[in-house]
Amino acid sequence: MLVQFHTLEPFNFFQSLSKRPILKLGNCAEINSICRRRISSVMASSSVSKAAAPTQDCAAQPLQVAKRLEKFKTTIFTQMSSLAIKHNAINLGQGFPNFDGPEFVKEAAIQAIRDGKNQYARGYGVPDLNKAVSERFKKDTGLIVDPEKEVTVTSGCTEAIAATILGLINPGDEVILFAPFYDSYEATLSMAGANIKCVTLRPPNFAIPVDELKSIVTKNTRAVLMNSPHNPTGKMFTREELDAIASLCNENDVLVFSDEVYDKLAFEMDHISIASIPGMYDRTVTMNSLGKTFSLTGWKIGWAIAPPHLTWGLRQAHSYLTFATSTPMQYAAATALRAPDSYYEELRRDYMSKKNILVEGLKAVGFTVHPSSGTYFVVVDHTPFGLENDIAFCEYLIKEVGVVAIPTSVFYLDPEEGKNLVRFTFCKDEGTLRSAVERMKEKLEKKK
Amino acid sequence: MEEKLSSVAKTLAPSPIQQLSYLAERCNAINLAEGFPNFPAPLHIKDAAVSAIRSDFNQYRHVQGICDYVACKMKEMHGMNVNPLTDIVICCGQSEAFAATMLAIIDRGDEVILLDPSYETYDTCIRLAGGVPVYLGLDPPHWTLNSDKLEKAFTDKTKALVLNSPHNPTGKISTKDELEIIAEACRRRDVLAVTDEVYEHITFDNERHISLASLPEMQGRTIITSSLSKTFSVTGWRVGWAIAPTCIASAIRNIHIKITDSAPAPFQEAALAALRSPPEYFDLLRRDYESKRDCIFNLLAKVGFKMEFKPKGSFFLFAELPESCTLSDVEFVEELIKQAGVVAVPGSGFFHANPSADNISRRYIRFAFCKSEDTLTAASAKIGRLVDNASGYLKLFQLVRKS
Repeated sequence: MLVQFHTLEPFNFFQSLSKRPILKLGNCAEINSICRRRISSVMASSSVSKAAAPTQDCAAQPLQVAKRLEKFKTTIFTQMSSLAIKHNAINLGQGFPNFDGPEFVKEAAIQAIRDGKNQYARGYGVPDLNKAVSERFKKDTGLIVDPEKEVTVTSGCTEAIAATILGLINPGDEVILFAPFYDSYEATLSMAGANIKCVTLRPPNFAIPVDELKSIVTKNTRAVLMNSPHNPTGKMFTREELDAIASLCNENDVLVFSDEVYDKLAFEMDHISIASIPGMYDRTVTMNSLGKTFSLTGWKIGWAIAPPHLTWGLRQAHSYLTFATSTPMQYAAATALRAPDSYYEELRRDYMSKKNILVEGLKAVGFTVHPSSGTYFVVVDHTPFGLENDIAFCEYLIKEVGVVAIPTSVFYLDPEEGKNLVRFTFCKDEGTLRSAVERMKEKLEKKK
Repeated sequence: MEEKLSSVAKTLAPSPIQQLSYLAERCNAINLAEGFPNFPAPLHIKDAAVSAIRSDFNQYRHVQGICDYVACKMKEMHGMNVNPLTDIVICCGQSEAFAATMLAIIDRGDEVILLDPSYETYDTCIRLAGGVPVYLGLDPPHWTLNSDKLEKAFTDKTKALVLNSPHNPTGKISTKDELEIIAEACRRRDVLAVTDEVYEHITFDNERHISLASLPEMQGRTIITSSLSKTFSVTGWRVGWAIAPTCIASAIRNIHIKITDSAPAPFQEAALAALRSPPEYFDLLRRDYESKRDCIFNLLAKVGFKMEFKPKGSFFLFAELPESCTLSDVEFVEELIKQAGVVAVPGSGFFHANPSADNISRRYIRFAFCKSEDTLTAASAKIGRLVDNASGYLKLFQLVRKS
C-alpha cells in the first residue's frame, strides 16, 4: 500500500477547513545534504524520512536515542484525511466535536481577554484554576489536594502526559501500556527512552488480563500508563481491575500515570479514579483536561494532579516544554469547572442519545459492535464486510460509502492485533450521525 | 520518592526570576523584572480573539494562514524564501518551538554553543534533550563576539549554536560582522544554528534586526524560533513558530504534536489579525519602546549605574553596578526591593561560563521597560527618592556587604 508523506496532517486532527494537497517527500531532495545529516539520528529511523535515504552518519547512533522519533508515524491518517475530502465523506474518525462549547465558558474567556488577562500566567497555573481543579477533584473522588502543591496546569492533557513522562521517566525505565492506546503514549515514552511493555486488551469486552499483568509487573517496573474511560474502545476499568492494578503497584513500588480525559463521558458505570484507591494517591499522577468535557478541544487547557514529590518533577519538565499555559482560557476553565451538576447530566444525556443513534445504526448495518461504557468512541469488528484488514476497510468505507472511521491497528505495538477493528466516534451532531448511518445502510454490503 | 524523578528533573531548580517576583509581590514592589507588558494588548487583536471564540473556532486547529503571513514577513524583512506549507511549524509559544527543536535535533552528548549572558531556559531544553551546553562569554561592555573564543568553543561534538538577537538580557543586536563570523563558523564546521528572534520587531535608533538565516548558505542549516508574544503584547496566548528546512520542520512538527498537539485555536485565528497589522503598528511599537528605553536608561545613568552600553533592541537593559558598590547583584536587588520598592533581575542568573577574574557575572542588573508610562514614572520617582543629595547617586551603592 502506498504510504505518502505529508508534513502537516497528524492523525488525530483533521482540519476540515484546509484543503492542502498531499506533499511528496521529493521536496526534501532539494534541501541540501547538510539538512539530512544533521537531523538527530532519530529522524533517520522514522518512516517519514525513508524516501530520503539516511546517510552513513545516522546509521551508527545508539538505539536508545534513535527511538525518540521512530514512533512518529502519521501517514495512514494523512491519507485518510485527504481521501475524506476528495470523496466528501462524513467524518466519524476525528476525535473532536463538530458542535461548539457552551456559551457561558466562551463568554468567560472573552471577558478575560477584555479584562486584560493576556500576559504570562503563573507557570503551574492561574491560582483560581488550580483551586477549581482541586474542588472538582474533591467532588469527584473525595480526595483533598493542595491546589498550590499538587495541581499543575498544562497545554492540554497531551502536555500533561509529556511533562509527566519527561519529568519522571529515565532512559531504560520500564513502563507498561495497555493496547490499544492513544498514539502519543508510545511516541512520548520513546522520546524519554523508556522500555515499553504492553498488555493487550481483547474483544469482546476488553477486560484486563490480570494474570498477564501480574507476570509483567516486576520490581523493575517504573510506571503503568493507563487510560480510563479508554480511547479507542470505550472500556471503563472496573473496581476489581483497578484493585488488581493497585495491589501490583503497591507490592512492586510502581507509579501510575492515569489519563482520565473522558471521565465525564461515563455512561454504563461510574468513573473511578485510581488515585482514590487506598495506597494509590502517593504514587499516582491523574491527568485530565477541559477539551472533551466542554467541547473546546482547541483551547488546550489540561492538568495533572499528583503528590508534591511527583508534581515537582512534572512541573520542571512542563516549565521547559511550554513555560506557561494560555491565560484567558485558564480563567474560563475555572468558570467551566464550577458548572452545576445539571451541566454534566445534560452532557451525558446528549452523548447517550448520540451513542444510541450510532450504535443502533452500526448494528443494523451489520457490524459487530463491541460494548463501549464511556468516551465518545465505539469500536466495531468490520470483518463481516470481507475486507482484508482495518486500513483496507477504512479506505473502502471512505471511497465507496462516504464515511470515515479510524483503523485501530495504529493503536497497537503489533498492528496485526488491531486489523479486525475500526473506531467510530459519536461526538457529532445528530444529523451528521444519522446521515452517516444512512449512507452505510445504503452502500455497505456484507460479503458471504 | 525523590528517586522516582528523572535524572534531568533532579538537576533543575525553580526559576530565580520567579522567586524574586514572589518577594516583590509580598513587598508590593513595582515590577521591572518580568519580561511582559502591564499595558493592554492591542484592541484589534483582542477583538479578533473574541470573534474567533464566538465563531466557534474552538476545536483542535492548524491555521495555515499564520504560516502564509510568517513566510511573507520573512521575504519582506530578510529576502528569504520560506515554503509556508512545509517549512513553518505553529507551536505553543517560542518556548515550545525551542523545546521541540532541541528534541528534534539533539542526540545524547551533542554539544550546543550558547553565548553568555543568556536566557535561562535554553540550557535546560538542551539538557532535557540529552545535549551538553557549552558557553562562551560575550565581551563587556558592549557584549561583542570574540571570534577566537568562538573558534575555541567548537569541538567535533558540536551539533548546534544558539543565537538570541535582539538579545535578552543585554538588548544587543548582533552586528552584520558578528553574524558573518557565526555563519562562517557554522558553514565550515557543518553545524546547525537555532535562533530566538522573539524581539525581532523591537529595535531602536533605526537599527534593524537581521536574521542569521538570511546570510548566504545559512537557510539550509538554521532553525528560527519566534512568536506573537512580545511583538503584540500577548505573552499569555502561547502562539509561536519554528521556521526550518523541510526535513527538520517536519521533525519539529511531529514532536510538537506529541507534546501539545495544537496551539490554542482561537488565538491562532487572532494571530492572523495580528500578523496583518499595517507597518504603522510596528513603527509605533518601536517608537514607544524606544522612548521607554530612553527614560529608564537616562534614569539609571543619572543615579550612578555604569551605562556603557545602550540597548538597540528588546525591552531589557543590563545596567552595571558602579565600582564603588561592593554589593553583589543579588544583594543589590534585595535592597532595591526593600528600600525602593522596585524589583529588577540580578544578572548572575544569565551567566553560566566559569566565573571570570573580575566576576562580571555579579555586576549586572536587568531592568525591563515593557511597562506603562505610569509604571515607569512611578519607578523613576521611587528610585529618585533614594539618591544621595550630594552626589546624586543611589545611596544603595554605599551599602556594605553583609558577608
